Amino acid sequence: MAGIKIYHLYPDHLNLYGDRGNMIALCRRAEWHNISIEVVPVRPGDKMAFSQCDLLFMGGGQDSDQQMVAEDLKKRSSELSSAVEDGMVIFAVCGSYQLLGSHYITGSGEKIGGLELINLYTEAGTKRLIGNAVINCSLWYPTKTLVGFENHAGKTYLGPGLKPLGQVMIGHGNNGTDKTEGAVYKNVIGTYLHGSLLPKNPWLTDFLLEKALAYRGQDFIPANLDDSLEEQAHNAFIKLAGSKKHKRMSTRA
Amino acid sequence: MHKKSMQGHKTGGFLSRLFKIKLLAGLWTGKLLLIITRLSGRGGTTLPGRIAQKIEPKLTSYLASLLPSGTLLITGTNGKTTTSALLSSILKEAGYRCINNQSGSNLSWGIASSLVAETSLSGHLREDMAVMEVDEGALPGVTGSMKPRGITITNIFRDQLDRYGEVDHVLQKIKTGLDLQPQDGFEVINADDPSLTGIQAGQHKKRWLYGLELDLPEDTFENTGRDMKACPHCKEELQYEKLFYAHLGHYGCHSCGYKRPKPDIRLMKASESVNGVTALQIELPGETAEIKFPLPGTYNFYNLLAAVATAKALDIPTTLITSALEKSVPSFGRMEFFEAGGKTIIIALIKNPVGANEVIRTILNQSDKVNLLVAINDKIADGTDVSWLWDVDFEQLGLVKDSFSGLYASGLRAWDMAVRFKYAGFDPGQVSIEENTEKAVRSALEVTPPGSKLFILPSYTAMLEIRRTLNKMGLGKPYWEE
Repeated sequence: MAGIKIYHLYPDHLNLYGDRGNMIALCRRAEWHNISIEVVPVRPGDKMAFSQCDLLFMGGGQDSDQQMVAEDLKKRSSELSSAVEDGMVIFAVCGSYQLLGSHYITGSGEKIGGLELINLYTEAGTKRLIGNAVINCSLWYPTKTLVGFENHAGKTYLGPGLKPLGQVMIGHGNNGTDKTEGAVYKNVIGTYLHGSLLPKNPWLTDFLLEKALAYRGQDFIPANLDDSLEEQAHNAFIKLAGSKKHKRMSTRA
Repeated sequence: MHKKSMQGHKTGGFLSRLFKIKLLAGLWTGKLLLIITRLSGRGGTTLPGRIAQKIEPKLTSYLASLLPSGTLLITGTNGKTTTSALLSSILKEAGYRCINNQSGSNLSWGIASSLVAETSLSGHLREDMAVMEVDEGALPGVTGSMKPRGITITNIFRDQLDRYGEVDHVLQKIKTGLDLQPQDGFEVINADDPSLTGIQAGQHKKRWLYGLELDLPEDTFENTGRDMKACPHCKEELQYEKLFYAHLGHYGCHSCGYKRPKPDIRLMKASESVNGVTALQIELPGETAEIKFPLPGTYNFYNLLAAVATAKALDIPTTLITSALEKSVPSFGRMEFFEAGGKTIIIALIKNPVGANEVIRTILNQSDKVNLLVAINDKIADGTDVSWLWDVDFEQLGLVKDSFSGLYASGLRAWDMAVRFKYAGFDPGQVSIEENTEKAVRSALEVTPPGSKLFILPSYTAMLEIRRTLNKMGLGKPYWEE
C-alpha cells in the first residue's frame, strides 16, 4: 500500500479556523484511496527531520502564537527551504501562508522577517477582509473552482514570477485589489481560504495527496469515490456566495 | 421601597427638561417599535433599543440608575443564558423583582430594548434590579452605562471568530469590562478556568470563586481549543491534575508555580442522576447545601455554581437558593423539551465547539435510538464562518452511527453539515438534506417513532426559526411571552 507521512505543524497553536477539518479531510480521503497515512504532530522545540516528511500542514494561529511559531520555524528555515526545492508538499493556511513569505510589515511600519520560502510579502491592512470566497484555480486544466471563507487583516502581495492559487471570482483574495488569491510555488500551496477548505474542495485534497505520493516516489492510484455530496456542497456554496439576498442576511443582524 | 423616577433626575432647568423630553421620546418610540415587531410575529429584540438609544444616548444608564438594587451582568462564552435564568429564579425566590433580557438581545441595543419594555410610559420602573446576560464583546460598553454591582463570568472558549476576532481579544474585552466596574462592586468567576483566574483582581473588589471538586471520567473528546491551556502568567503549558472538559479543571504551572485558587463555592459530590435529577452537595463558606438539581450535564453544574456564588455575594440565604434551584427548568433552546403526540423533541442550541461537544455527550448517553437534526445558518447571529463545525467532535457520533433512526442536515448551510456528517464517519445515504428548517423539522418529526426522541441541534437563528415552526404546531409559546 502506498503511504505518506504528514507533519502537522504545531497543532496546539495553529488551529484557528477549523484547520482540524483540513486534517480530517486529508486523513479520510487518504483512507478511502487506500493510501496509508501517518500524521506526526510537531510541537515547538521538537526535533523534526524534514527528510521524513512528505506533506507539511500549517494552519492559522492567533497573533500571540504566530510570533512564537515564526521564531521556532526560523531556526529550521534552511532545512525547510531545501525540502521545498526538492518538492516537499506544504499546505499553509492564513497566518502560516503569510509566514512563508519574505516579511510582514506591521501597522507601525515595523518589518518582521518571514521564512523566505516563497516570494511574497504581507502588510497590515486597516480593515479585515472577511467573507465567503470563490476562486478560479488553474492547478488543473480545465480550471476548477475552490470555495472557502476568508478572514484576514494582512494584505499579501506576490513577487514577480510567483503564481497565485487562483483568480478571485467572489471575495477579496490576497489583498482586496489585484484579484489574486493564495500562491503556488513548486509543491507549496498557500491560501487565505478556510471554512474548512479541503472538505468542500475534494480535488484539492486529492491533489495534495498525489503530490505527496509523487515526492515519495509513488503513484497515486485514485479509488473510484463517489464525491457527489462534496460536489453538491461545493455548488450550493457558490450559489450562496453569489446570492445578494444571502449577503444581506449575513451582514446585517 | 425606595423609588426613583424622572423627578429624581438631578440636573435642573432647561437641560433637565430637554433630557426628559428626549428620554420620553426615546422610550415611547422604543415601546411602539416593540409592539410593531411583536405584532409582526418576530419579537424584535434589537431595533427598539437601538432607536430609543439613538434618540437619547443616556437612556440605558439613566434607566439602570433607577434600579434600587442595581444591576448584575453575566458574561462568558457558554452558559450565560442558563446562569442568568438560575440567578433570576433565586432572586425571585428572595423577593426581588428583576428585569431580564433574552440571549438574542445581549448586545447593548438588545439590553436597551429589555429596559424599555419594562419602563412605564411615564419613565418609571417597578423592578428592583436587572440581571442581564451580556455578550463578551459588549461587556465594556454595557458596564460603562449600567455600572453593575456584580459581574459574573462563566468561562472563555473559542467562539465565533468572524465576529470577535481571537480568544485573546475576548479576554481583553472582559478585562476592560472588569476595570470599568465600580470599585465597590463584586466579581464572580470560574476557578477552574485558568484564563479567568489569570485576570488580576480589582484592588477593592471582592472576588468570588467557584469550582468543581468531582472525580469525573477524563475528557476523551478531541478539543481543538487547546490554546487556552497556557499559563496566564508565563505561557508555559499548564499541567492538569483533573481535566473536566476543554481547559476547565484543576491546573497548575510547573514553571512559575501558578495554580488554581481555592474556590469559595465548591461542588463536592454529584450523584448518578435519576430521571434527569442529580443530587448535588455544595460547600459554601461555613455551611454545606444539598440540592436536587433538574438540569443535566457538567456544564449545567458550572452554571448552577455561578448562580449560587452570585447569590451568596448578594447575601441571599442558602435555603432560598436551594429551593429556587430545585425548581429549575431549561432555558430558551438549551435542552428544551417539547412533547408532540408521544414523541419528545429536544432543542439544544449549538454555537461553538465546546458547547456542541457537551450536547454530543448528552446524546451519547441516550439508551435508545434517536433521530437527529442539525440545522446550521450563517447569519450574523450564528457566525458567518461555519469552520467551527469541523472543530466539533461529530466523530464521536459517527462511531455509533447505527444509534440513529434518522439523520437530517438543514439550514442555509445544510450542505456543509451533510459533508461534516460524511467525514465524521456516517454513510452519506443516512443523511437527509433539507435546507428549509420548517420542512426539515416537520419531516423529521413525522418519521420519529412514538415514544422516541428527536434531537434538534440548531445554530442561533435556526433555533428561532424552529421555535416558530413548533409554535405553529401548537408547541411552546413565542419567546417574548415567556
